[in-house]
Amino acid sequence: MTTRTTKDAVWDALARVLDPEIPAVSVVDMGMIRAVEVAGDVAKVVVLPTFTGCPAVPIIRKDVKTAVLGVEGIGRADVEMSFSPAWTPDRITEQGRRRLEEFGLAPPTGAAPVLIADIGLPKVAVCPFCGSKNTHNENPFGPTPCRALYYCDACANPFEQFKPV
Amino acid sequence: MSDSLVALVTALADDELVLGHRHSEWTGFAPQIEEDVAFSSIAQDEIGHAAALYGLVASITGDDPDRLGLGRDQNQYRHAVLCERPNRDWAYTLARHWLYDHADAVRLAALTDTADERLGALVNKMRREERYHLIHADTWMQRISQGPMDGRTRLMEAVTETVPEALDLFEPIEAEDDALKQGWLPAPSDVLRARFVDETSGALEDLALPAEVRSHLQATEFVASSSGDLIDEGPSESKSSDDKSSSGGRSGNHTSDFGRLWSDLTHTYRAHPGASW
Repeated sequence: MTTRTTKDAVWDALARVLDPEIPAVSVVDMGMIRAVEVAGDVAKVVVLPTFTGCPAVPIIRKDVKTAVLGVEGIGRADVEMSFSPAWTPDRITEQGRRRLEEFGLAPPTGAAPVLIADIGLPKVAVCPFCGSKNTHNENPFGPTPCRALYYCDACANPFEQFKPV
Repeated sequence: MSDSLVALVTALADDELVLGHRHSEWTGFAPQIEEDVAFSSIAQDEIGHAAALYGLVASITGDDPDRLGLGRDQNQYRHAVLCERPNRDWAYTLARHWLYDHADAVRLAALTDTADERLGALVNKMRREERYHLIHADTWMQRISQGPMDGRTRLMEAVTETVPEALDLFEPIEAEDDALKQGWLPAPSDVLRARFVDETSGALEDLALPAEVRSHLQATEFVASSSGDLIDEGPSESKSSDDKSSSGGRSGNHTSDFGRLWSDLTHTYRAHPGASW
């Protein structure tokens, strides 16, 4: 039997904060929470934005703060946005990957690139609708900074791929 | 002591903001829909980088990031003149995009060794995103250089014409000596410029595009006050707008092209003082 701490409750609250642009996943699923510290009634949460220019960042900051303040025993919530370390797609949890796929967004594949020169779109993207690898890239850019556009030549659906970064 | 850090980060931020704004002018107007999406997305990245960099400046000076981006007078911006030029046509847009993103890659690679931890972390994040801009620019350069002669010629002419202003991206920042001494800037601007020249010259050879980069180098001098047309000479959005001399952006000397851009960029901010968004 483990005792549930306030810190556990904060993590639970964070697991209910959804990504405003991909509401199928939470900030925890996305691996955006670097650290949670609780001291007395003060919680400090460090958030790693997925992309620097992501317009959802201010919304996420606000939602995280609201969620944490809703935890019993917390009177103050400090939310820090950090680029250290840089968020990389390998931080997405297994559950997050599954949820992205169900949402119709192909999760990033493989390990996070170490060298900048190795960053690029996957050679083969798997269609999240039919599982085919018979797909092609239409655009390395997409509707948000984190997505690239693909087309499935097997089931004739367009789909989006989360960009390795 | 951190004045030179502020000057360095401001110059980076202003480049990203102003060129990001130019890229955003393709939204709805690019020659094909995929490029409409691409330039819009690149613009969003660049403006996002600018916002993060202004945030870093603000954390040092206590200023407001929105005011830094949108609330300064024209001569307080420190971007290179290259960034403010109108998009003109597709050839110029691509030539500038390619030259800028290679220059940016050179300086960001150097800045990973900056003595300021926050800047180092942000630069590391930016480089991962900028990688896609480089791939995009390189892909277009390859595509056109392997295509029909008309496109090759226009691209080559645009690159040749743009190189002098691209070299001015490496005009020294204000207080550069101090930035070097403090370790904010790990390598002097002229060293970075030489790296940029090597890299782009090699790439143009590989592309068999006979545009000359190196020969412009000797001709480049930075004379802060020599900017051919200052902003009160009236609007001019044409390519011939100005001048021979392009230096001085890092000292706040801009062309009439920036007057028009600044007016659009800051319009809402000026029209509604104190508004929050």
